[in-house]
Amino acid sequence: MSREDTAMLDRPNETAVDAGATPTAVELAIFNSRMESITRRMANTMLRTGRSGVINTARDFSCSLVTATGELLSVSEGFPIHMLRGADLMAQCMAEMHPVLLRGDAYLHNSPYHGNSHAADHTVIVPVVDDDGVHRFSVLAKAHVADCGNALPTTYMGAARDVYAEGALIFPATKIQSDYRHIDDIVRMCRMRIRVPDQWWGDYLAALGAARVAEREVLKLGAELGWDRFHALERAWFDYSEQRMIAAIRKLPGGRASAENAHDPFPGTPADGIRIRADVAVDPEAARIVIDLTDNPDCMPCGLNLSEGTATSGALCGVFDSIEPGVPANAGSYRRIDVKLRRNCVVGIPEHPTSTSVATTNLADRLVNAVQRAFASLGDGIGMADASGSSLPPSCGVVSGFDPRADGAAFINVVILGAGGGPGTPVTDGWLTIACMGNAGMPFYDSIELDELHQPIVVQARRLRTDGEGAGRFRGAPGAEIEYGPVDCDVEVGFACDGVVHPAQGVRGGGPGALAEAYLRRADGSLEALPGSSQLIVKEGESLVSLTAGGGGYGPAVERPPASVARDVVEGWVSRERAEAVYGVVLTASGSVDSAATERRRAGLAAGG
Amino acid sequence: MRFAVDVGGTFSDLVVEDDEGRFHGFKAPTTPGDPATGVLAAVARAAESFGTDTATLLGRGSVFIHATTRALNAILTGTTAKTAFLTTAGHPDILLFREGGRTDLFDYTRPFPDPYVPRSLTFEVPERIWSDGRVLKLLDTAALDRIIDRLAALEVEAVGVSLLWSIINPAHEIAVGKVLAERLPNVAVTLSHQLNPILREYRRASSTCIDASLKPIMGPYLTDLDARLRGAGFEGRILGVTSQGGVVETGMLAAAPIHAINSGPSLAPLAGRAYARADSGRDTAIVTDSGGTSFDVSFVRRGEIPWTADSWIGPPFRGHLVGFPSVEVKWIGAGGGSIARVDAGGLLAVGPESAGAEPGPACYGRGGTRPTVTDAALALGYLDPGHFLGGRLALDVAAARAAIDRDVAEPLNVTTEDAAAAMLSLATERMVAAIEDITINRGVDPSQAVLVGGGGSAGFTAVAIARRLGCAEVVIPSTGATLSAAGALLSTLSAEFRTLAPQRSDRFDAAAVTTVLADLAARAAAFAAGPGAGSLGHSVRFSVEARYVQQAWDIETELADGAAIDAAGVARLVDAFHRTHEELFAVSDPDSAVEFLTWSARVACRLRPEADDAPALASGTPQPASRRRAYFAGHGWCDAAVRAFGDLAEPVTGPAIVESAFTTVVVPPGATARGSDSGGIVITPGMAR
Repeated sequence: MSREDTAMLDRPNETAVDAGATPTAVELAIFNSRMESITRRMANTMLRTGRSGVINTARDFSCSLVTATGELLSVSEGFPIHMLRGADLMAQCMAEMHPVLLRGDAYLHNSPYHGNSHAADHTVIVPVVDDDGVHRFSVLAKAHVADCGNALPTTYMGAARDVYAEGALIFPATKIQSDYRHIDDIVRMCRMRIRVPDQWWGDYLAALGAARVAEREVLKLGAELGWDRFHALERAWFDYSEQRMIAAIRKLPGGRASAENAHDPFPGTPADGIRIRADVAVDPEAARIVIDLTDNPDCMPCGLNLSEGTATSGALCGVFDSIEPGVPANAGSYRRIDVKLRRNCVVGIPEHPTSTSVATTNLADRLVNAVQRAFASLGDGIGMADASGSSLPPSCGVVSGFDPRADGAAFINVVILGAGGGPGTPVTDGWLTIACMGNAGMPFYDSIELDELHQPIVVQARRLRTDGEGAGRFRGAPGAEIEYGPVDCDVEVGFACDGVVHPAQGVRGGGPGALAEAYLRRADGSLEALPGSSQLIVKEGESLVSLTAGGGGYGPAVERPPASVARDVVEGWVSRERAEAVYGVVLTASGSVDSAATERRRAGLAAGG
Repeated sequence: MRFAVDVGGTFSDLVVEDDEGRFHGFKAPTTPGDPATGVLAAVARAAESFGTDTATLLGRGSVFIHATTRALNAILTGTTAKTAFLTTAGHPDILLFREGGRTDLFDYTRPFPDPYVPRSLTFEVPERIWSDGRVLKLLDTAALDRIIDRLAALEVEAVGVSLLWSIINPAHEIAVGKVLAERLPNVAVTLSHQLNPILREYRRASSTCIDASLKPIMGPYLTDLDARLRGAGFEGRILGVTSQGGVVETGMLAAAPIHAINSGPSLAPLAGRAYARADSGRDTAIVTDSGGTSFDVSFVRRGEIPWTADSWIGPPFRGHLVGFPSVEVKWIGAGGGSIARVDAGGLLAVGPESAGAEPGPACYGRGGTRPTVTDAALALGYLDPGHFLGGRLALDVAAARAAIDRDVAEPLNVTTEDAAAAMLSLATERMVAAIEDITINRGVDPSQAVLVGGGGSAGFTAVAIARRLGCAEVVIPSTGATLSAAGALLSTLSAEFRTLAPQRSDRFDAAAVTTVLADLAARAAAFAAGPGAGSLGHSVRFSVEARYVQQAWDIETELADGAAIDAAGVARLVDAFHRTHEELFAVSDPDSAVEFLTWSARVACRLRPEADDAPALASGTPQPASRRRAYFAGHGWCDAAVRAFGDLAEPVTGPAIVESAFTTVVVPPGATARGSDSGGIVITPGMAR
């Protein structure tokens, strides 16, 4: 298979460095712990010093360590859709475009055509160069910036027909520091195109600080171990990770399975949205998994197309969600997984100038969900249902305007007031604050007080959405009801809400989650339904109402233990009526389970009543 | 004479300071149903040691300081009071959503955590105030009355009230508190703006509800302890330890019991600092406390006790945020009971799973079959099987070796000794990672610090940790097992006062801030003149939470000029912030405005002369010197010298083992141990050879 057609993850073990004895298990564990401590430190720097909410609250960043040959070695706990694949591709591009890498260099990279996720993710790459001038390693700090210079004040241009309509500046591994000093030409270009440039500058400094901190640590470790030993440990860590993946795959039932999923219609998509499928093959004996995404539509004239990085990461995320936890995610474990992609495919490898503005959330999440649902159909006890699917609802909108409390100063930020619910799994109910599978529930939710301090808005409500869950033996998590609007001014809000038409599906007999809904509440109190992909001005006295979607259920609802249903009713997650109609659980006046009536009701449901 | 007791889960530790300033340590089993009994049993042991009776001994005391894990245990075991949460209408799920966030990306086997107060006990009060203090919606008193009817019907025992923006305009919260006091006089109430006036509604609400839920538990407990100590003959002052590592009147603790949550561990850094100064002459210390299941560590930098703003009960994101800064003590699951296993990929792991006290390590012979760190130490000859815990528990060497062989040595195809040594190396590495997290990850070099090893199992790994971090010395206090109780006697009577007053460096209102600081100074002075009366002097420190505009996380920055602030002072404050930021995160942004949020004054009244004299601890019973076979990686089986604590007039060079009834310290080849003035030992780690 050539790279022309597929992204093969099992790279040959090309550099068999002889650097003394085979690393011992203890030595290897220590090496890994050192690597993890470096990425943790990078992540801490990003979180605590980032300026925009999307970094310091939503944690929309990732930190990665990549070998000199361009293999992913270690990542921080970052969004899976960001990090599973991409850092390696970007580091490879940097090395190809800049054959001579010097200590003190730093590169700004956001090109989705060269390994990056989408244009709003600004990555700082620092090549780690030893005292003899040899490029030994690369460290990457990637962060979603609040603005990237798009034509509209949003980083998610769902309706953009191509990269020109997006309008973002694209940097394919562009040198931004030389000898540890800024190349001011590049900085000035950013300042001329990116809204609220001081905020971007602060975010850029956060990423640069994280990368420089890591560079220092890797150089120290290289000097301590000797570079040959360092590289031998890299190889050993890859081999170990591969063994863990082999063991995990051998626990799965073998076979082939497919699952389909659909993104809502947006401008530029077919009338019923984007239908995709994932074909999964598991071979426990050979310990290999193949995810084939080639049987999918061509790229479309909208911002929903995935980039190569997010298409591969999405497929891998579905795999890691479906195998036992604890397998390290790196080039070693990836040797056992083939992700087949096609050029000019909506979930494949887009070609310039295809727009990938929304490549990290909407369709990417539909892909992750399709993969994990395909796994679920291989057998009870594995895989998962769909997460909410309501990527980027109004409650996670990009809010901009002029703050009357700060002499009309411009502001722009992504608010993360709340998002959709997580999927039912074989052993747990859905995680309530999941947002997307692609970010694994990592984002913090904004503090309402902090949001009202930073933007001239008031959040009238944020509460759990009763009956919003996908029913199941393990139910999905419900979404949330959120309402907010401006105070003493108008604000502009952009969002790209999926899940208004196509719900999160359940699996193995589990039910779908509630659909997302988006409204504008007029000054007179009336509600006007909004399309999922919207950019609008909300006037003083008006507010946005966002009902986010619920996650799908796992297994039949009538198999849910009645005590769990009773608890959901007492706690207001599920109404008494729904408990009876869907779960077949009848409660007494005091809220305890009426066992006899429940038995009758469940028997009736089984008989088709 | 002064007393301090730390009531732990297993033992109640008592430290008595005699009139010459020497410390004496005692232990008695904790009696969870009736903690005062255990406390008085420890006092009885002390009385016996001083050759007197309990009443006479207590009668000589001026101060009795008390630390307890009772509040924390009540939360962890779900035995707090039945508590309701009153919140602003539209926002019932503040405690459920928390602040979002998740760890362990691909592990979906953990359920979403329950809120601190269930939704069924959460009530929405119709009202709304905005960020500038204006009332967007008036308090609906009729609706409030109906809510209170429900509270009465449900027989709630406590109510936490936390309304949005009460920190800027508390009118609605005060009104709710007034009605609750009138209609439900026997129900404990906490108002958020009074308890913890901080920004971010989840943190404030969490503080408020935790506090309310503890009031019905801690009030009677503290009253009972007070009465029992009085009844036994104590006539001095009774104080309680806070999570901030200070002491307060027990009445204040009963009024805001949330401050008792981290009561015990908060004192270890204080004691560690004193021993680092006394025995090593250093101001910067890594203070560790290793027990059976957990390894607590804190970093004292240039004499400063470490603080954290994010203190969780339980794991981050899945536990409950306390919402108060507290002494920062990092905890990981690594200790004598940590279990070793080899995973599917052939990688050795040690902990966090622990054999605990029951069934315990394989060598205890109480049904444990899996190999632990203690088993490894026994297999390597570090522990004396006949004299563990002063001979109260005989250890089974064969059982330890068998467990290690089956679960570690055979899967890795190495010898028993190499397997055991690898287990200790890996435990060491996890402890190192925990220390790096609170040092290197904050941009601080741990090699400048002395390592203070407290706790029963510190001695297995202390020297190895010090070598790995490059520390010049290790200090093992003679009774590390009572580190927290010793810390209580060194702590100060303290209080912190806080006010939210947002300001920016580029439009700084010095007059407004001066007013805020003057108010804080007045409250601190009132504390010093009230509860602090009769202390040996006091100090007040002012600080502010600062950050670059648009950042979300603050750095605490000290106000070098105290309560006075003028234009030059603002410039100095901003400079200090830029410097701290660069030190912590490798970059600063001198062109950016700085934002200031919560201003605070911390007052500390000294109860003990401020001296670096060694708080001498009575040493254990000397034992005759002997020798034992012990295994060291790279050296094989060695003939190691065995010495007792307090029997190190002559330094001993490794391989050696230093023992007391409660702990065993391994001195590997290349390291040298000497006795310290305070009865502990100081080790020069040297290099691994």
